[in-house]
Amino acid sequence: MTATRLDVPARPRTWPRTVAIAGAIIVITLLTTLPALGGVEIDLGAIARNWGNGADRIAKLMRPDLSILPRTWQPLLETLEMALVAAAISAAFAIPLSLWAARPTNPNAPFRVAVRSVLNIIRAVPDLVYATILVAMVGVGALPGVITLVLFDLGIVVKLVSEAIDSADAAYIEAGRAAGGTQTQINRVTALPQTWPVFASQVLYSLELNVRVSAILGLVGAGGMGRLIDEVRGFYRYDALATIILELLVVVIAIEITSNVLRKRLR
Amino acid sequence: MSAHALGAEAGGAPSASASWPVELKDVTVRYPNGVVALKGVSVRIEPGEIVAVVGLSGSGKSTLIRTINGLVPVTEGTVTVGDHVVSELRGRALRELRGHVGMIFQAFNLADRASVFHNVLVGRFAHTPTWRTLIGAASPRDREVVMRALDSVGMLEKVWGRAGALSGGQKQRVAIARALSQEPSVMLADEPVASLDPPTAHSVMRDLERINQERGLTVLVNLHLMDLARQYTTRMIGLRQGELVYDGPAADATDADFEAIYGRPIQPRDRLDR
Repeated sequence: MTATRLDVPARPRTWPRTVAIAGAIIVITLLTTLPALGGVEIDLGAIARNWGNGADRIAKLMRPDLSILPRTWQPLLETLEMALVAAAISAAFAIPLSLWAARPTNPNAPFRVAVRSVLNIIRAVPDLVYATILVAMVGVGALPGVITLVLFDLGIVVKLVSEAIDSADAAYIEAGRAAGGTQTQINRVTALPQTWPVFASQVLYSLELNVRVSAILGLVGAGGMGRLIDEVRGFYRYDALATIILELLVVVIAIEITSNVLRKRLR
Repeated sequence: MSAHALGAEAGGAPSASASWPVELKDVTVRYPNGVVALKGVSVRIEPGEIVAVVGLSGSGKSTLIRTINGLVPVTEGTVTVGDHVVSELRGRALRELRGHVGMIFQAFNLADRASVFHNVLVGRFAHTPTWRTLIGAASPRDREVVMRALDSVGMLEKVWGRAGALSGGQKQRVAIARALSQEPSVMLADEPVASLDPPTAHSVMRDLERINQERGLTVLVNLHLMDLARQYTTRMIGLRQGELVYDGPAADATDADFEAIYGRPIQPRDRLDR
């Protein structure tokens, strides 16, 4: 190696950009937090004044009352059933919708935009709103909960799967087109198996979310654990609530472990 | 179309239906971003010819070959394949024409997670109603055609394996089987060996040569390597910056001819076997 000097090009200056970005973040933060400027009101003093009110509840939560356990089996089972049924139904609908919402598998722009818009609307409505309306429409019980979860899952699964299709290499689609295939044929024979792992992975994720969400849905009468949570909370039985939370935690972790094992096998 | 299908039925193999001529008349292609990829190219390829399209990358080879099956629409001029004017075809008629034109690609373009069988079944799309594809029930004849196509490239034993598990040379053979299962009248190949090592490249070129000789198929193959063009094809078309600059027998093409096509002196990387 001779020590000839390399003609290294000058490194472009990036610090003005970095300073500008940092400045913008600081300005936005200030604008959104200063009440005088119409920002959100955050009263840190309130935490110091009020935290004692919650302390006794936290203390109760630390001593779970296991005697509630026998009463939880039935609602827990209902929650799991709702989660599973909703994940399965939404998966069936999500297969064609995901393919229609992604560019490589649906080159028809107006159709694609229509599918995406409908799903954006479905995703924009909070799940509690669905549950409240559906409870009024179809009555108290598991059914409004299941429908809510299906809508909730559709929004998530279709968005994540169609984005995965958008970003994946889709050269095989050109081959299908060159062979004279319709888009439906190409999607069915090649895009579907190609998308299968990410699809299954997102459906498992939605199952996991369903258990958490359905615990909340019971608050408005949409079945499952939530109804029991609402009841024990109403009687200030935070010790019993702790048991229920622990139980849900165990279930969620069990589902997560199972789905991780399944995901590894899918690759 | 039905006549071809009947002929193949009698033979029981994905034999060539009648081989078709390809003709480009004053073809210009301008992409939406303003790039002019082909400028007034006219060329006629007779049925059963094996023709190399030679040029550097960016010379318009890929565009030329894609005008033949309508993957790239022409801006001006006409492309005729058999008795079909490609630029006039839309929808079903265009898909039917594509069914008669097999194509293989530099990057193989297989669905890696799908089985070899399903990848080759793609070649039957134009001959299969969409509902049948949707329910996933390949007809016995489609199945037979797929198996024979795989057998003819020596890949039958891999039929139920995943395409992604194959080597590069094996993938290109599966891609050839996919094109053959179309029972095509014209075969297009876009840099089919550019992603392969030299021995594999030669065997894939021999496969194309064999398809041309045994089935009498019209074959157009894009190449940037001069020795492959000389060795495996009978006629050579040279493209430089979208214009046709050479048309003649491949074996007689001199180094000076290649230098004229490339627009620069010959370099070692212009040959596969250096």
